[in-house]
Amino acid sequence: MIKLIDIALPIIFILASCSAFEYQPYDGRISGESGINKKNIALIEKNCADRDTFRFAVISDTQRWYDETQDFVSVLNKRNDIDFVIHGGDISDFGVTKEFLWQRDILSHLKVPYVVLIGNHDCLGDGDEIFEKVFGQPNFAFTAGKVKFICINSNALEFDYSNPIPNFDFIESQLDTTDIKNHKTIFAMHARPYSDQFNNNVAKIFEYDIRRFPNLLFCLSAHDHKLEADDLFGDGVMYYASANIAKRSYLVFTIYKEGYKYEVVNF
Amino acid sequence: MKWLIFNIALLLLLLPSNMEAQDSLYIEHLQKYHTTWERLIPRHYKLQFAGSMGFLSFGPGWEYGKHHHWETDILFGFVPKYDSSDNKITFTIKENYIPWNKKLNQYFGIEPLTVSIYTNSILSGKYWVNEPNKYPGGYYGFSTRVRLNLALGQRFVFYVPDKYRKYNKAISFFYELGTTDFYIVSAFTNHYLKMKDILHLSLGLKMQVF
Repeated sequence: MIKLIDIALPIIFILASCSAFEYQPYDGRISGESGINKKNIALIEKNCADRDTFRFAVISDTQRWYDETQDFVSVLNKRNDIDFVIHGGDISDFGVTKEFLWQRDILSHLKVPYVVLIGNHDCLGDGDEIFEKVFGQPNFAFTAGKVKFICINSNALEFDYSNPIPNFDFIESQLDTTDIKNHKTIFAMHARPYSDQFNNNVAKIFEYDIRRFPNLLFCLSAHDHKLEADDLFGDGVMYYASANIAKRSYLVFTIYKEGYKYEVVNF
Repeated sequence: MKWLIFNIALLLLLLPSNMEAQDSLYIEHLQKYHTTWERLIPRHYKLQFAGSMGFLSFGPGWEYGKHHHWETDILFGFVPKYDSSDNKITFTIKENYIPWNKKLNQYFGIEPLTVSIYTNSILSGKYWVNEPNKYPGGYYGFSTRVRLNLALGQRFVFYVPDKYRKYNKAISFFYELGTTDFYIVSAFTNHYLKMKDILHLSLGLKMQVF
């Protein structure tokens, strides 16, 4: 009997390491690169350090549109004027482990660094845990040139009160950073206020909170699968949403010392 | 006195036959009852590795149909947590169709094709069959808990010789190549996904008790 186990265990171990065997679509078995956002943020911060002008592209909702995402990567790689890419979330459709890895493998071909925000579809099942491992924390911030990007999880409908969304403590912690006065701020989120995912009970409080940031430039969002540019609260803070990748478009923002401009690029 | 003798005689005459009639009916019912429930005694057990139903799954099963072409398995699977926060237990109901069964010699046989369809459910509150009420109607439009799988496979049967039989009369090794509903709908609209991305291999043992 002991002999049988001696033989069986190594065999099971070899088989288990083979990718052809799937244990469950939601098994959480991650292979390949992880911690993408952290690594790419280091690159973005280095590339854009002390620059007044830089340019970034925004895509979102690439779930289950692998071909279109691949097309976007090859289109963007033909450009030399983009410094980084922000993905507005919904990188997976079902929250299934392999979806995160497939999308990661496509986006890894980008010549420029990219960061991914968490979308509501990414939270299904144990998806939020897979997202955290492959891409990073659901709330994160980075600095490009003189602009602070504060990326938050706004998918309140997917969680309960044990997980505060939006996380005001996180936003507060970014306000406390000492050099915030010398920076402009851009907020990025998957679902914007008054969408079906947002905690709309605190939509106005959220707006009040983010307006405390000096030099708030604008907000980025996704989720609605269409291009949007709205002054949601009538207070001059613009919310720009990129369409889902199936619409074959992306946004390009250029940040200048004096302000910014944006354009929609169809491909 | 005459009346009493008559009554006792009648009683002696009727009672045994009456008892006998009741007895046989009871035994007949009891036998029926036993045979009905005996059909539910699992005829085999399966241990399966991978197959999108768990790292390892185990459970009983039954054969039926004229030439035992049909099989139903009930399997409980275990999925280690890997990069998620919890280990998972899954439940599978699997229906197999085995059109041919070829005995090569007294020891070995082959089942050149098995066709399987099975549902696998994660037994965890995080996964739902129907969307929770908090979502507007038809928000996601799919279940995160229940997956439908299709698989094709082959089996190699070893008939345990009488003198070595302990628990099983036959042991089969099988493999299956399958896919899951989520992957089918993903591959359908994307050239990016190739067969190797959506197909999964699984191995198993079938222990035939009787």
